[in-house]
Amino acid sequence: MIVNLHLIALALYGLATVFVLAPLIGGRRRATPRALTIALPCAGAAFHVVAISRLTPIGLGPALSMLAFCLVLLQLASERLLRGSAVSFFAGPLATGLVGLAILSGLTPGAGLTGAGSGSQSAWFILHVALSALGLSLMALAFIAAALYLLQFRELKSRRFGQIFQLFPPLERLDQLNHLALVAGFPALTMGVLLALGYGAQFSGGLHAAKAQIVWGVFTWVVLGWAVWVRVVRHWAGRRAAVASIAGFGAVLLVYVALKLTQPGAERFL
Amino acid sequence: MVGVNHRTAPLDVRERFTHGAHEVPAALAKVLAAGASGGVLLSTCNRTEFYLVADDEPALDAVWALLGERLATKPADGAREYGYIARDRDAVRHLYRVSSGLDSMILGESQIQGQVREAWEISRPQAGPVLHRLFQSALHVGSRVRTETGLGMGTASVASAAIQVAGKIFGDLAGRSALILGAGDMAELAATCLSDEGVQITLVANRTYERARAIAERLGGKAVSLEEAWPHFATTDIALCSTAAPHAVVTWERVGAVIGGGARRGKPLCILDLGVPRDVDPAIAQIENVFLYDIDDLQTVAAQATARRRDEVPAAERIVEEETDLFWAWYGGLGVVPTIKEWRQQMDTLRATELDRALRQLSHLSPEDRMQIEQFSQSLLNKLLHQPTIALKQAAEEGHGYGLLEALRRLFGMEPPA
Repeated sequence: MIVNLHLIALALYGLATVFVLAPLIGGRRRATPRALTIALPCAGAAFHVVAISRLTPIGLGPALSMLAFCLVLLQLASERLLRGSAVSFFAGPLATGLVGLAILSGLTPGAGLTGAGSGSQSAWFILHVALSALGLSLMALAFIAAALYLLQFRELKSRRFGQIFQLFPPLERLDQLNHLALVAGFPALTMGVLLALGYGAQFSGGLHAAKAQIVWGVFTWVVLGWAVWVRVVRHWAGRRAAVASIAGFGAVLLVYVALKLTQPGAERFL
Repeated sequence: MVGVNHRTAPLDVRERFTHGAHEVPAALAKVLAAGASGGVLLSTCNRTEFYLVADDEPALDAVWALLGERLATKPADGAREYGYIARDRDAVRHLYRVSSGLDSMILGESQIQGQVREAWEISRPQAGPVLHRLFQSALHVGSRVRTETGLGMGTASVASAAIQVAGKIFGDLAGRSALILGAGDMAELAATCLSDEGVQITLVANRTYERARAIAERLGGKAVSLEEAWPHFATTDIALCSTAAPHAVVTWERVGAVIGGGARRGKPLCILDLGVPRDVDPAIAQIENVFLYDIDDLQTVAAQATARRRDEVPAAERIVEEETDLFWAWYGGLGVVPTIKEWRQQMDTLRATELDRALRQLSHLSPEDRMQIEQFSQSLLNKLLHQPTIALKQAAEEGHGYGLLEALRRLFGMEPPA
């Protein structure tokens, strides 16, 4: 049932992505009607939320699924902010890929993974996973806004006036979105990390998480904190801030992949 | 419909034919006095068109005379030399194409929709029911074309392309600041477009101070000399340059340090160079957050929009044709019932007259026989009129009634409808 719901969500997200990318790939002059690019991910998210509510949030598959779900919600929210569907040029394929990976990784906990225990324990754990997923997807959104910014910047600087010029939002709006995503993502991720630490102290009698998880969690928190610091305290904006966001997100992703490759158990998050 | 437009008359002639709102009632009154039963005058900078409900010649002559009076030099053919006429269904189609922007100088421009509405409102007391309906439907057609096709999408003039490009950098332009270099017509037009978008024109700099002051006062800015303008490149969001200088005036030496220094804190600067030859040294575009566009770039943006709009023309023409059919069906049906009634009455009067004359010569007949003959004449007339009546009604329902009604009126010598 969970897998079937995920498959339906995958199909709807995939279809929305095809429609959104069609003007860029096929050179069609008119963008896909917004009703379609919003209705399809909305329908996908409806199936997805039902699937997530039946999911045990342990392991790689469920984490990727939650990440994809948060990303789709943020995509829909930012499209309202930007009054255009440009975020879905990146968020659409990313969310579709994450759901696909989640299905391939397995959506039920593996033999080596344990449950979250009592009611208060599991609520604590679910909150940790949800806030961490939200923080990470906001970081991904900041990366997407930064990538769109750099592409539009290049288009405007080189006076090309092609599909990117037509379809992508204005530079300042993308810069605002990047700023907003970083500023909102940092507290969410901080809470996620604190909840993980608190969970260890409260229920496990100390921090028993795998070293890789701690290394990656702290590294991600530091990178996001740095990105917020340069934007808010050092007043970086525009192209420099976009490059910083992309570099930060790239580093977080690379470190995760590196750690994942060195860790046993494909079904574990880390 | 009779008129002139940007394809048939040069600007100096069109200017003479343009009627201000206050001149419209008197002009229409002259044409109505010549026999038209209704009229609307659409007069813009690109067209002056009279839409009339009239029989051909006297009303048309009145229009040509009216326009001819305004010509400085009289060509042999008068105002007719610059004009065109569209009748019946073609006139309806023409107005629908006009209101859709299909007949505009800038394909798909939306201003014409407002101008058609304004023309209708000004001419309303003299329009009559047919033109009232026609103009209402023309506004509907204009809206349909703009919502159902992409004919109005993008920007198709250099000034609006400048707005689009600046909008791609700043998003909402309201509250942004702009300085204007130059005080020619192009600078003024583009500055007005920016001001209409909510951009604050802070400074107008020009070699001739008086001209700069005139524009600055109108747009709410301050007039300065060119030399005083350079420091303001450190703070402005948009710089619009359109001077008549024979070489670049915005050079690296003058503004490079001001823009590239720390004062801007990485804030983007959009420079719109509308000058020919160019006013801005292209090297300035190398500064990180400077976005420099010259007239060629803006014409490219405008041309792309026009090309996209051209792709939409077949879809727009389909809507125009569909709506023309609908209007023509309504118009064809409008006169069919009274005309058939009048025709049948005329035939019946003829029958009665001829019957009376025949019966006077057949006085030997019994009353029963006379009754038989009268019934026969009535029946014969009904049989004769039945098929044409059905055909007329059917044609009216299908939107082809008008031509048949006209033929009927001509063939049977009936008066034109009031």
